[in-house]
Amino acid sequence: MKASELFVLVSIIVFIFSLAYITSLGGLGQLPPVNVRLLAQRYLELTWNPLKPFMSSSGYESVTAIVWDFRGLDTFFETAVFYGAIIAAIAIYRGVKITGKGRTTGMSPIARTITRLSIILIPTVAASIALHGHLTPGGGFQAGSVATVVVVLIIMVFGRKALIRKGMTKARILLFRSLGLLGIGFTAVAILLAGIILGLNAYIFQNQPKPFAPLGFPKLYDGMILGGSLLLFNLFEFIAVTAGFTLVLLLLSLGEEEVRGVVEK
Amino acid sequence: MVNLKSAIPAMILSFIVYIVYTGSIDPYDLLTGAIVAVIIGLLTGEIVIKDPGKAFDPKRLYWLIKYTIWYFLVAEVKAHVDVIKRALSPRIPLNPAIVRVPYYVETDYAMTTIANSITNTPGTVVVDIDYGRKIFYVHWIDAKTSDPGEARKMISLDFEEHARKIFD
Repeated sequence: MKASELFVLVSIIVFIFSLAYITSLGGLGQLPPVNVRLLAQRYLELTWNPLKPFMSSSGYESVTAIVWDFRGLDTFFETAVFYGAIIAAIAIYRGVKITGKGRTTGMSPIARTITRLSIILIPTVAASIALHGHLTPGGGFQAGSVATVVVVLIIMVFGRKALIRKGMTKARILLFRSLGLLGIGFTAVAILLAGIILGLNAYIFQNQPKPFAPLGFPKLYDGMILGGSLLLFNLFEFIAVTAGFTLVLLLLSLGEEEVRGVVEK
Repeated sequence: MVNLKSAIPAMILSFIVYIVYTGSIDPYDLLTGAIVAVIIGLLTGEIVIKDPGKAFDPKRLYWLIKYTIWYFLVAEVKAHVDVIKRALSPRIPLNPAIVRVPYYVETDYAMTTIANSITNTPGTVVVDIDYGRKIFYVHWIDAKTSDPGEARKMISLDFEEHARKIFD
């Protein structure tokens, strides 16, 4: 082993141990106080608790329950920020025509064949992550990120024009993204709307029935855990995130010469 | 219009992957898996499957299973042992070269099977392909020959015969 390699090894070990020592002394700020840990306990206790139906969420997954139920409004605004960022990207590229005309070379036939298979596999796995999000770790955003991998692959291996020729036009992707966002918005107010129509008390972001607000999303059906609003939020977020990322990737894959004409006007 | 015949094998593949990935056969997973499989199958069937008749041929399925077992348990192990011997030997016997290896299968899936089988066994890597002339350029850790025909016999003949029975 060379002296420089030894030096790297020793400095990594020293760094890890000193960091651990500083942390244990409280040098990186205080450790979470006990009442914060009580909050975590409360989340864990109430995520799935048939004994406390008015306080619990509707799935097994605590993170999904926090993200879309206990702290649902936060996530809604985060989604709105993501939506705004993509609107900004589209605005920057306004006037640029994205067409599927012209030749694409792409990568070798080996890469093309394997990528063709992954067009089935990756979206399937993504859908499983989204639809299982209220039961196991996962959810809409994660699933959307996974599904976007197939778009990256198609753009790299077949070329962007091939993606558009297969029907992924800007207008269509925008439509899907809007459907996803409308779905999220609708799920957030669905119980409130139903409450107004039926003359019952209800809240925005209501998932399960509460005291004096008897409406709620279905939690169980014939032994299947449907997850109430969590399932719908995950599904629509999956659609919105996939479409949003796809749109940005499509814009980023444009070459300078295609944008030049619009910029110079 | 969507090609239904192509969609069905794609649906089956999608459903199997969904259930295996989810790791559960609860009614909820079977139901959502079926819905997802139908949607993905309809959307992607035409892109992925050109000749749906082949997907339901039991002979091809038999060869596929046989090849999978043989490849991972025999071909892979042999190649690994060979490379391990080279790595552990004090002389490190290497004779690397890039050789031409022709192939004689028709479909892209068969060609890809051969190429990936060559690459996945240690010691040989497909570095390039001449699609028009049907030649792989293979980097070989111990190039015993530079003759394309001989190299094909040593490197890819077993893979090719199986790939032809499965996909061609």
